[in-house]
Amino acid sequence: MMRIVLSRVGEALVSLLLMSVVVFFLARLTGDPVAVLLGDGATEADKQALISELGLNRSVFEQYFIFLGNVLQGDFGRSIMGDQSPAFQLVLERLPYSLLLASASLVIALGIGIPLGVAAAVNRGRPLDVAARAAALFGQSVPPFWLGLVLIYIFAVQLGWARTSGFGGLANIALPAFTMALFSLAAIVRLVRGAMIEALTSEYVKLARAKGLPERDVIWRHAFRNSAFPVITFMGAFFATMITGAVVIETVFSWPGVGRLALESILRRDFAVIQAVVLMITTLYIVMNLMVDLLYAWLDPRVREAA
Amino acid sequence: MAGAATLAVAGCGRAPFEATQLTVAMPTFAEGTFLPWTGGGQRKAFLDAMYDYLCIIDPATGEPGPGLASDWSVTSDGLEWTFRIRPGVQFQRGYGEVASTDAAFSIRQIIRPTARAGPSSPLRRLIRDIATPDPRILVIRLTRPDPELAKGYLANAQQVGIVCARHVAEAGERAASLNPVGSGPYMLDFFRRDSEIRLRIRTDSENIWRPRPAFETLVFRAVPEVSTRVAMMKTGEADIAPISYDDIGDVERTGLAVRSIPQSWSPVIRLGGLVQEGGRFEPKNPWADVRVRQAMNYAIDKNAIIRRIFHGQGRIAASDTPVEAWASLAPYDYDPARAKALLAEAGYPKGFPVTLKAFATTPGAELPVVAQAVALYWRAVGIEVSTELIDWTSLRSAWTSGAARSYVWTHRGFPFTSAQNGLEAGFDARSVFSAFSTPELQAMLDAHANELDPGKRRAKLTEIGVYLRDQAANVFIAHIDEPYAASRKVGEWTITSSNALNFEGIQPASGTAA
Repeated sequence: MMRIVLSRVGEALVSLLLMSVVVFFLARLTGDPVAVLLGDGATEADKQALISELGLNRSVFEQYFIFLGNVLQGDFGRSIMGDQSPAFQLVLERLPYSLLLASASLVIALGIGIPLGVAAAVNRGRPLDVAARAAALFGQSVPPFWLGLVLIYIFAVQLGWARTSGFGGLANIALPAFTMALFSLAAIVRLVRGAMIEALTSEYVKLARAKGLPERDVIWRHAFRNSAFPVITFMGAFFATMITGAVVIETVFSWPGVGRLALESILRRDFAVIQAVVLMITTLYIVMNLMVDLLYAWLDPRVREAA
Repeated sequence: MAGAATLAVAGCGRAPFEATQLTVAMPTFAEGTFLPWTGGGQRKAFLDAMYDYLCIIDPATGEPGPGLASDWSVTSDGLEWTFRIRPGVQFQRGYGEVASTDAAFSIRQIIRPTARAGPSSPLRRLIRDIATPDPRILVIRLTRPDPELAKGYLANAQQVGIVCARHVAEAGERAASLNPVGSGPYMLDFFRRDSEIRLRIRTDSENIWRPRPAFETLVFRAVPEVSTRVAMMKTGEADIAPISYDDIGDVERTGLAVRSIPQSWSPVIRLGGLVQEGGRFEPKNPWADVRVRQAMNYAIDKNAIIRRIFHGQGRIAASDTPVEAWASLAPYDYDPARAKALLAEAGYPKGFPVTLKAFATTPGAELPVVAQAVALYWRAVGIEVSTELIDWTSLRSAWTSGAARSYVWTHRGFPFTSAQNGLEAGFDARSVFSAFSTPELQAMLDAHANELDPGKRRAKLTEIGVYLRDQAANVFIAHIDEPYAASRKVGEWTITSSNALNFEGIQPASGTAA
């Protein structure tokens, strides 16, 4: 197990270094923040002074090595906007909101997706299966922007059961969490259904049934346990996406998460914040993948032996 | 269903009616900072309730009246302004009486090199030094005459809010920004970045010298999506929100009121390569010829754009900003035949190719649609238009670097209480945001800036307006109102372009007294 961990940590460090190069240079290809910061009636002299203040008069390679040196000391730089807060602090401020929304979505996606996928597989070809597959197709194809607005209209405006937007209690998180969950819920239904159909026709399930085990134990303890691997893989990657990539949902529901911070930073060319967000996303992906690998090893003795 | 039922039982969906609270849904908090010099003018919605300004523009006349300054005078050469600070005005949180040193400190912060406020650059060039010979007297000496200083940069339509200098010195700028101290009627009570700002009436409300606001609490919520803002209005979660022109009918049908800020902005087409200074001139562009520019103006049915895209919320214009002295200027008519004739006369009987770039912003979400309409009208007279969507930052970057020379783009003009401030920003060749400049225009601008006699000054300003119109400096379209949905809680609300976000001045509607 330790070898798996060490190997993955080594790969993670290389990935982070490569990602720092990619995000640093890509961000600068899109222009610079000088024009955003210049006020009404600014002159060329004001512009040059600002370029100098932001250190943009140095070569881009020099800027990169300064950035890298600072990151290694835990300093991601400061936002160029407003009171120039530390970039990493801005990301950390938003992270709890994104984690909360992603966790709520995960609970909804798993809580509905797994039973529905199992039920569809067990009832293959019957109306329940057809309905589950149709629902999954809808969930994966409906644009979250549209869905979010429809849910607001129905549950907030017409029924008054939920709040339209903003951070707050259950009434605030219900709609964005469900909107965000729907895509992954649909994917889970399809993954679980496919894996369960295969598992239910396998020899070990036939054996379990032949031994006279109750059908519930056959489905959940034998078939489902072996069908869970694709779901674990999917959710590992998807959880990281949900934390950082919910730009549309955070915008529609005015949720103060990392996704909106990323979008606003890109629009303002706030390089330090863009870099901090992307490196955090990368780290999250790596951590989630590492957790998935460790979970695999824990669940499957063959993985441990291979390692 | 179980979840929905739980919510219903919990009864937590509908916003409770809070008679003493006014909730404003805004597209953005911009930088979300609370010191005037740490960001742009979009923050004025909440900063104006916390800070005072030296002068306050009278909504009826557009002229400056007393604010924190009880009166002021200017020397005959227009180079030295003396402001007398209103006695007895107290800062919030027990920081004592507002003095001239606080005003001097606030102005110095705005003009410091690292300031991010809108007027920082021109004010930096304008102010020679600031003196406070007496705790009540503030003297500002200028590098050139500015007879409109009280009406322009130092009035409440701009960004020089007066901050408590001692508080910033004691707390440090970062802490002071999160716990600001001004002398306005409201204090910051709660802030969640890009989510919520809550202001409360100051605890020592007996020290409010401005008219006492009717609502105890002002809550601002950052809601970037306009459909969500409209939904908030319908559910009662918001009392005021800017809405799109397409939403006006829907909002009115639900029984909510729509109030508009008159002449809040102007859609306009800027033409690249027309600044005849600093390598920003491109004489090969067809529109370097004034006849072509006039043709591009004549070709567009501006009334149709106002009617169809802005639902009648605006009026056809001959300028990119509303200036009282230009009010009687006749705009370009819709005359496609004349446009074709002018193009033929200029040597383009079959038109020419042009790229029209457009971006969406707030206000100005309609600019891409305006671009499509303009493209159709131009195509009808033979101009071969290709439209491109672009983000505002990229366009702004190209514009300020002088790279935007070979194409044209949609843009927004904003009103300035001082026409001179607007001209400096948009047409002075020294400004990186200049979109049109000729030596002749520059001479007219300088002559206007140095003229102190009010009558002659107005005449010079009118000449400038006529020149910009006749030269077709931009493709002028309209001066547009900005619609806000208002709940039944909102009664009398005086809004003008000089005091657009006067939320503290809202009176509760009868029957919903705060």
